[in-house]
Amino acid sequence: MTAQLAPVVASAEVAPDPAPRSPVRRARRSRGSAGRILVYAILLVTLVGTLIPFVWMFLGSVKTEQELRQRPPTWWPQTFTWDNFAAWFGRLDIGTFFVNSIVVAVFTVLGTLLFCSMVGYALAKLEFPGKRLLFGLVLVTLMVPGVVTFVPLFVVVSRLGLVSTYVALILPFLVGPLGVFLMRQFIGEIPDSLIEAARIDGASEIRIFLRIVLPLCGPALATLAILTFLSSWNNFLWPLVVAQSEDMYTLPVALSLYSVGQNATNYGVLLAGSVLVITPVLLLFLALQKYFIRGITTTGIK
Amino acid sequence: MIRTKLTTTAAVTAAAALLLTGCGRSADGPAAGEALELSDDAAAGTVTVWAQGTEGEALKEFVAPFEEANPDVEVEVTSIPWDSAQNKYQTAIAGGSTPDIGMLGSDWLPGFATALTPVPSEIDTSGIFPFAVESANIDGTLLGVPWYVETRVIFHRTDLMKEAGFEEFPTDWDGLKELARAYKEKAGADFGIAIPAGGWNGFIGTLPFDYSGGAEVMDADQQEWTIDTPEMVQSLEYLKSYFDEGLADNRPSTETGSASANLVSGSVPMFLSGPWDIGGLETAGGPGFEDKFDVAMIPAAPGATSKSFAAGANLAVFKGAENPDAAWKLIEWLNQPEVQVDWFETVRDLPAQQSSWEDDALTSDPMIAVFGEQLESVGIAPTVSTWSEVSAAADTQMERIFRGGADVQETLTELQATADGLGTSR
Repeated sequence: MTAQLAPVVASAEVAPDPAPRSPVRRARRSRGSAGRILVYAILLVTLVGTLIPFVWMFLGSVKTEQELRQRPPTWWPQTFTWDNFAAWFGRLDIGTFFVNSIVVAVFTVLGTLLFCSMVGYALAKLEFPGKRLLFGLVLVTLMVPGVVTFVPLFVVVSRLGLVSTYVALILPFLVGPLGVFLMRQFIGEIPDSLIEAARIDGASEIRIFLRIVLPLCGPALATLAILTFLSSWNNFLWPLVVAQSEDMYTLPVALSLYSVGQNATNYGVLLAGSVLVITPVLLLFLALQKYFIRGITTTGIK
Repeated sequence: MIRTKLTTTAAVTAAAALLLTGCGRSADGPAAGEALELSDDAAAGTVTVWAQGTEGEALKEFVAPFEEANPDVEVEVTSIPWDSAQNKYQTAIAGGSTPDIGMLGSDWLPGFATALTPVPSEIDTSGIFPFAVESANIDGTLLGVPWYVETRVIFHRTDLMKEAGFEEFPTDWDGLKELARAYKEKAGADFGIAIPAGGWNGFIGTLPFDYSGGAEVMDADQQEWTIDTPEMVQSLEYLKSYFDEGLADNRPSTETGSASANLVSGSVPMFLSGPWDIGGLETAGGPGFEDKFDVAMIPAAPGATSKSFAAGANLAVFKGAENPDAAWKLIEWLNQPEVQVDWFETVRDLPAQQSSWEDDALTSDPMIAVFGEQLESVGIAPTVSTWSEVSAAADTQMERIFRGGADVQETLTELQATADGLGTSR
């Protein structure tokens, strides 16, 4: 669980909500403490540190290639240009790449939420022979780095004739050991008495899972959803290898295709593309932030 | 971030290599098999091509005349990113889902040899630069047709050179060092020249000087490594002196484009690079900058001739190709000297066909002409499969010499032992 908390705390600083304002006032009223000021100073520095790369990306995306390569670099664009974005919308079929990325991310997230919570529930609350061994196996696969299984996985996908299909892009990521582990730990905290009460009332296992367990897992599901979405959205190597025609490329593959050459990088196009790739995720995160942080807090209390 | 990516790349490469060798053994031996006999008919059917980056994008439109001449053929080009392209080919080979034609970096062929088919005898490679043909010749079998070539020359600031008191670019090592010193002392530069101080491909970065000092990495028939030779010691001592005398930065930024940015700002007015940086510098320098820089051949050691490092890309047909006949015909068409000139005008790739260089499109550009002259005297990377490991070990040793100040002779003796241990097996 601690491993899960770390990145979340870091991202929580991205956009401090109105919430911190009232503690500030209260602190001032109670003659302000040096400690509090220090905490906010640290938070402010981290906030600036987190925001600078984004600011650089947004400002850089409207600079000319010449200015981007200038030494010393400039902060504010000397000449403002939309050319880098025009390259994406004019020449390239960005709509297709966007749709591909969204389809893959959405189905990967839905699949992960469903399957990981099902496996997690079984491993946490059901009694069956070999349960500990099974959980052990799941944990063991957590230790195997993805690159080791990369080529064999591709060979399997290729022999199944799935190369260059959405299925190939989604299927391998529908269930993962990390998600199973996360859900099992979380479901394990739900009191047995709740589940037993439902069972006594005559609810089937499916019904217990759908009506009792899943609704209580909100915070864990939110965490898992965001983690899965981000890793799917940013995934580069697998889509690169599996998509053998351009109409199956996802955004990261397209980004690399059109801006990184063998010997030179077109930084303007790269930054403009990054803005287009990152903005939707950023907006989504800002919109869901409240639920996300609430989820973390409740998880923390447990 | 970049680190993880590199590790990932390395691990995937290793896994694919294991699988490739595994497949090679289970198939009928490492021999490439018989070359296809091309039919006399026009090309027909669908040909699938993978090409990287700019080449991939431009090739789609470029093949239109070929499709017109062969009405029954359809060429399907997929452009793939340069980043991790080698991984993509490797996994495709392992999974048996390769295209008909692949665009393979000239140094990839030794690793891919078991997956490729020999070039049919009908395809004439006699007009192509011999070094480029040599790069596609693996164990006596030609496995690819050179498509374009590139080599390294010295980019330098001409305006600052005059300020430093030089009229002509030097052609020997002593002259180059004097120029580097003059850039620093009289023209306000921080360093005279950019030399890779180790890191990825750091050893390849030194090869133009090694070759121009008479050193070779392997003997002529690629049976033995020749790393600890007096010539190699001499050229690396020469390069080391730039770092020792403060004429080159031993902590240079390895980020793409930083060398050209430093040339534009004047802080490091010389660096070694390929033809792509002509356009790169014109973009980075803005309007008017094309009059402020030029390219020159690699200066040679006393008694030696200028000889740079060359590479490029080959077109090859995979064993799993569904339409090899039409694929080879497309490759044959792309290799005609006049088509190569058109291709140069489309994407500025330097033609592999020597006779293309007589065309006005190439002779009228003075900078391209320098590349043409340098291409007459170049060496390539060894075509043995252990080269990538030797090269990686050498990168580390270069760093020890240039950054750590290690003794050149001792380091090269050690590197020679490493290379001998890795062997020259293919």
